[in-house]
Amino acid sequence: MAVKARKPGFSPRLVRVLGQVLGFAALCLGAFLFLFPFYYMVVGALQERPDPSIAGAFPGPDELSLVNFQQINERVPLLQALLNSLIYTGGVILGTLTIGILAGYALSRLRWRGRELVFNIVLLTLIVPFQLLMIPMYVMVVRTWGLGDTYLGMILPFLVNSTAVFVFRQFFLQIPEEMLDAARIDGAGELRILTQIVLPLSRPAILTAGLITFIGPWNEFLWPFLVTKQQELQPLAVALANYISTVAASTANPFGAILAGAVVLAIPAVALFVIFQRYFVQSETSAGLKE
Amino acid sequence: MSAGTVRYAGYLFILPYLTFLGLFIAYPLGFAVWMSFYDYFFAAPGAVVERPFVGLENYRALILEDGIFHTTLGNIAVFIAVNVPLTTVLAIVLATALNARLPGRTFFRTSYYLPYVTASVAIIAVWGYLFFSDGLVNRVLGDLAPEPSWLVNRTWAMIVVALLVTWKNLGYYVLLYLAALQNIPRQLYEAAEVDGAGVLAKFRHITIPGLRPATVLVVILSTIIGANLFTEPYLLTNGGGPENQTLSPVLYMYQKGIEQADAGYAAAIGVTLSIGVLTIAAVQRFALERD
Amino acid sequence: MVKRVGAIPVWAVVAVVALSACGDGGGASDATSATGPIDVWLSNNEQEIAWGEKIIEQWNRENPDQEVSYQEIPAGESSEAVIQAAITAGNAPCLIWNVAPAAVPQFQRAGGLVALDSFEGGVDYARERLGGRLDQYVSPDGQLYQMPWKSNPVMIIYNKELFEQAGIDPENPPLATYEEFFRTAQTLNEELGIAAIWPSADQTFFQAWFDYYPTFIAASGGEQLVENGEAQFNSDVGVQVGEFWRSLYDAGLIPRESAPGDAFGEEQSAMSIVGPWAVAVYEDIDWGVVPVPTPEGTPSEEIYTFSDAKSTAIFTACENQRTAFEFMKFATSEEADRMLLEETGQMPLRDGLMEIYGDYFDQNPLYATFAEQAERTVEVPNVENSIEMWQRFRDAYTTAVIFGREPVSEAFSAAARDIEELVGKSGQ
Repeated sequence: MAVKARKPGFSPRLVRVLGQVLGFAALCLGAFLFLFPFYYMVVGALQERPDPSIAGAFPGPDELSLVNFQQINERVPLLQALLNSLIYTGGVILGTLTIGILAGYALSRLRWRGRELVFNIVLLTLIVPFQLLMIPMYVMVVRTWGLGDTYLGMILPFLVNSTAVFVFRQFFLQIPEEMLDAARIDGAGELRILTQIVLPLSRPAILTAGLITFIGPWNEFLWPFLVTKQQELQPLAVALANYISTVAASTANPFGAILAGAVVLAIPAVALFVIFQRYFVQSETSAGLKE
Repeated sequence: MSAGTVRYAGYLFILPYLTFLGLFIAYPLGFAVWMSFYDYFFAAPGAVVERPFVGLENYRALILEDGIFHTTLGNIAVFIAVNVPLTTVLAIVLATALNARLPGRTFFRTSYYLPYVTASVAIIAVWGYLFFSDGLVNRVLGDLAPEPSWLVNRTWAMIVVALLVTWKNLGYYVLLYLAALQNIPRQLYEAAEVDGAGVLAKFRHITIPGLRPATVLVVILSTIIGANLFTEPYLLTNGGGPENQTLSPVLYMYQKGIEQADAGYAAAIGVTLSIGVLTIAAVQRFALERD
Repeated sequence: MVKRVGAIPVWAVVAVVALSACGDGGGASDATSATGPIDVWLSNNEQEIAWGEKIIEQWNRENPDQEVSYQEIPAGESSEAVIQAAITAGNAPCLIWNVAPAAVPQFQRAGGLVALDSFEGGVDYARERLGGRLDQYVSPDGQLYQMPWKSNPVMIIYNKELFEQAGIDPENPPLATYEEFFRTAQTLNEELGIAAIWPSADQTFFQAWFDYYPTFIAASGGEQLVENGEAQFNSDVGVQVGEFWRSLYDAGLIPRESAPGDAFGEEQSAMSIVGPWAVAVYEDIDWGVVPVPTPEGTPSEEIYTFSDAKSTAIFTACENQRTAFEFMKFATSEEADRMLLEETGQMPLRDGLMEIYGDYFDQNPLYATFAEQAERTVEVPNVENSIEMWQRFRDAYTTAVIFGREPVSEAFSAAARDIEELVGKSGQ
């Protein structure tokens, strides 16, 4: 605030305050629109019977029950499935970040013939729908390589994550060239520049890419399901999708079952986000931005 | 440090990505392209089956005669027209607001991110429940509710799908923008303040240009993700209803290729779609990066 | 001769190698006589797994050298994709206890299924179990690639309490003719303000099995959608059935939108069109069951309906096909079928249910009506492009019947033309 006082003139204080109030109001409205369906989902998961009325959206505590969750707990080996999800998702994130950082750096800060071509190919890979590739890929992974019922078979196809490459490329492009040139003049190799100069500056990009990558394997059920038929290897999403498909076919409240399954799947993801989200904004940078 | 070493490093850094790309995209894609020239279907290893070469027949039938395919293209155009501008504008506004020092920032960030981490099947169940004819939305709207209701209304159904996808993925684009905002040097803002620039002036002349690389990314990504729309019509409007008005090209490809085992034709759909999206993305990139 | 492009030689070589490896040396007959451990897939339905575990345990006790192990596959729509992928990769199991007859032509064309004709007495065994209805399951090439296993004959159930509230006799509801059905539906709607019946309005291909198809079968005296390459629904009767459903939609007695939950269970609709699985699901509701309506009220003992059946099939990837065949017989025996009935309430697809399991139906009268109906079921036609055919039909039905944007007769005759061309392809 003291900083502002030093700069009189063109933008009066009122405009700033007004802007902040408006921004805050927009955020509140947005948050309501974003949270309400989610709230509705939790309420739906806690109700024995769905109730579409307006009053039904605000049930009293006596109208809530944990029945849907108890049923999941009885049918799904939650701990084992969670462990599988962690291995699967963790493997994908590690691999994707490694490959993505290297590729993003090569595509943004290194000069080599064919760079533009490869960057266009990165775009191309985003364009191809997975459903088009699924069965040939499946035959290759399971039959040719014999990776059915393994974590590796689940992980490998997810490592070509062009979005991550894209995120790193766009981020690295913004790092001032002089910093890199200085290191190059000092004789540092590219790998050293990448790990010691670029990466420490790239924490937001790494976190962004990590979170984006996380969601794919965490919620994916079709591919790991195709690859693994053994229950002991199935990630949480697959176990819950199986549960939902059974329950939806044979219960009076498929809605509650689906929502409860989704809540169970969402909790670890939300928790992770809450833990990591404060690293998105480096405090010293945000101090400079007042609006 | 010679230019030669740098070039060599470029190839080395891109190699892992290209390897995976070759195995998991190029090979299955090449296979799909090849399939599209045949009356192809998947068969057991060793099975003696006849899969005649049909040249461009699949493409001819698809592009010239297939009314359903034409409908899917129109549908996806509506989707993109709603989804992409809305996504871009809302993501910039929310990211800028979130980047400021406001009370409850953690809370807001988390709430915008929630839909993105939550499994599609649950999101879709909730939206379906909110938007069905006797659902909460119509009860709140009363006489203002459209007739027929949203999801069976030939005009509204696709718009609701587009809003759902915007809502679900917005958190992800906000993340991309947040990461980009971190990279706008705060000196620029300070200099502008010294020159007496107001809130809006700074937003227009510093923030928006600073976000251009991210905007290119967001526009292209959301177009591509939109063009590959699959899960939402598959589940929310139950296979593309009403009367195929929400049928997307990828869902149609899935019906042809997986449900109806007409893999050659499905591959032709996928390849045609990919070429179309590639063209659009190239145009977008050209338009946004030059200017 | 097939024209070749770049990639083919590799595949041709692969095919030749594969063929010479297992084709020439009589590999096929080796597999059909081989015995040893096998793996099977069960649908992930809880009751069916309970049944499967019991049967497998019994078998393994008696045949320790031919052990059976199982894995679950989804019961829903995606199971076809999973099976298709497994056939292509050559890692399908020996038996799958959840094969939709509509998907059999596809799996057969892909070379994924072993015909029961390759086993001595295989077809006879199936015929003994099912009688004349077995013909509906035979493929166009004259071979039998599936063992019809269980059915869920489709009937109309109604909520007695709601009927009473609307002033309709809950013990003898007028639901036999189209006129009666329409008037009853109207009364329900006027008195209670809820849907009379709520079939799914989805455009997915198989939804026709749970509205139009059972009523068409009943009205036509047991015809399939397509017979001998000709579309049967494009007839006076077929159009009449379509008009009947359309009148219900037009009058607002059926919502044009699928229910977000379970309409009958939540008393959003007074009737439902279901199989015997409903008995266990709707335990809390007092309901009655009648056959699907017919134009002039065909006597109920003459009414045919859709079977909603599932088969089991032996897959070519299986090494010990003899064991698979023996286990298949074991698990479809009279005793095994009794266990299936008791565990799942689904009807074993065999003749004489009421005689063989009379004691069970005496104790479970709700199932008895379904069991009687189970004797008169009609299957989906076993034709090539079967799913594509159903999708084409459903598209026409959605436009003309559900949304009423085209005359039924016009939409059906256009669909008939396309469908006759589709199923005609099988002759090539």
